[in-house]
Amino acid sequence: MADNWGFVLAAYGLAAVVLLSYWRFLARRERTKTPRARPPRARPGVSDPPAPAVSEPLAPTSGHPRSKPASRPPLQ
Amino acid sequence: MIRIVGGLALAALAAGLVMAFGVAPRETTQGNVQRIMYLHVPSVWVAYLAFAVVLVASITYLVRRLEAADRLAHASAEVGVLFTGLTIATGSIWGKPTWGTWWTWDARLTSVSILFVMYLGYLLLRGMVEDRERGARYAAVLGIVAAFNIPLVHFSVYWWRTLHQPPSLMKPGPGTMPGVIVAALLVNFAAFSLLYVYFVAKRACLLRREAEAA
Amino acid sequence: MLTFARRAFIVLWKDLLVERRSKETLNALFFFALLLLFLFQFAIGPDRERLAGTLPGLLWLGFILSGLLGLGRTFVVERENDCWEALLLAPGDKSAIYVGKLAGNLLLMLVVEAILVVLFGFFFNLDLRGVLPGLAVVIVLGTVAFAAVGTLFAAMTAQVRARELLFPVLLLPVQAPVLLATVKATEAVLLGEPLGSVAHWLKLLAAADVVYIAVGVLTFDFVLEG
Repeated sequence: MADNWGFVLAAYGLAAVVLLSYWRFLARRERTKTPRARPPRARPGVSDPPAPAVSEPLAPTSGHPRSKPASRPPLQ
Repeated sequence: MIRIVGGLALAALAAGLVMAFGVAPRETTQGNVQRIMYLHVPSVWVAYLAFAVVLVASITYLVRRLEAADRLAHASAEVGVLFTGLTIATGSIWGKPTWGTWWTWDARLTSVSILFVMYLGYLLLRGMVEDRERGARYAAVLGIVAAFNIPLVHFSVYWWRTLHQPPSLMKPGPGTMPGVIVAALLVNFAAFSLLYVYFVAKRACLLRREAEAA
Repeated sequence: MLTFARRAFIVLWKDLLVERRSKETLNALFFFALLLLFLFQFAIGPDRERLAGTLPGLLWLGFILSGLLGLGRTFVVERENDCWEALLLAPGDKSAIYVGKLAGNLLLMLVVEAILVVLFGFFFNLDLRGVLPGLAVVIVLGTVAFAAVGTLFAAMTAQVRARELLFPVLLLPVQAPVLLATVKATEAVLLGEPLGSVAHWLKLLAAADVVYIAVGVLTFDFVLEG
């Protein structure tokens, strides 16, 4: 039984799964780390909550130039 | 920058697949199962590369106390363990149809398994030391010991398998392989190396962010 | 150089004195070795032939298990008696402490191993007279390797939580090549073959000894930093 393509597929499939999973682990970790990099600081006594609170999650100004979590296509 | 490497890695992986399946010939004795080699061998080469980087980064850390060196060692060890595990898995899958058994204590699988548990221990150590600075120091020492152990592992396992004759050469190479096969191996090795660089860079970056956030 | 040797010797002497007065480690290890023998016998069964085949492996398993117990305690003892900080504060080259500890551990392990060999000979009815010198060479070479890495890792794990778990987990994979070499060499020696036939194994063990001690001496300072 010379060819055993099943095993070849299994090996390459496993490799793909492992490498992809690791890549996803990295990507997911990166996503959770970035927004937390600048935790929202408490405003000192100014009662102006609604406006800044709403805009904060939409446009995180975390200062890390590489962090575009939602829109970043994989590997590019 | 990292994305460029990632993109290159992806392209190289594709090229590697083409080489492995399209260009390389069907092997005479084993049949197409032998194509697993294009996964298995580059994997183990990258693992060695990773552990060599761990050695250099560990020494650098101990001598110069550069945090970046510590993060590089950590990331490289993690990716190295990943590729080592992949080597073992692909080796096992290759072995089943070839030798009829899922596992055999042949020289390569045995050596790689020892490497796997050594560096898994490295990651375990990192996880168990709370103090960051101490963890970095201890891991560096372990990284150095493990790396120097690799040649010892090689020789001992190889002699262990070939019973009574201690070989006069380092290890019998695969002899002369046809150029196409070597080319396919090299392309896949380049692809895996690029992937390694990409993973390590991202991982080290993550470590830096975690350290900054803490 | 001379102060280095002196400091190493002081550490060794202190450990020997402590051990001679309390004898706790040696007694416990001796008892443990005896129990291991019983375990091996029960696990393998009464068949003489099977036992004879696995003897070298069992012997070294016994050495390693006893060694793990004995070495694991090397620096814990210091911590228990509040000597740890004193060690850390000692001026100058801390590698002298490593050498002293290594010598102490080596002696301890060799004593336990000698007892184990005698017990093995007794229980499994071996005639060891002719092979003793060769056996001694293999045992010494292998034990030095084990103690060299073990002492270093013991210092490392002494301050880590789950020390008892981490120490064997780190040490055993690193010792795999040493185990392969010693068991093969012991096998040959017990069969009456001359040491020359296993020269490659002995050279490997010697190389391992040199590498491990060198790395230990060079990195111990980093392990013991405050």
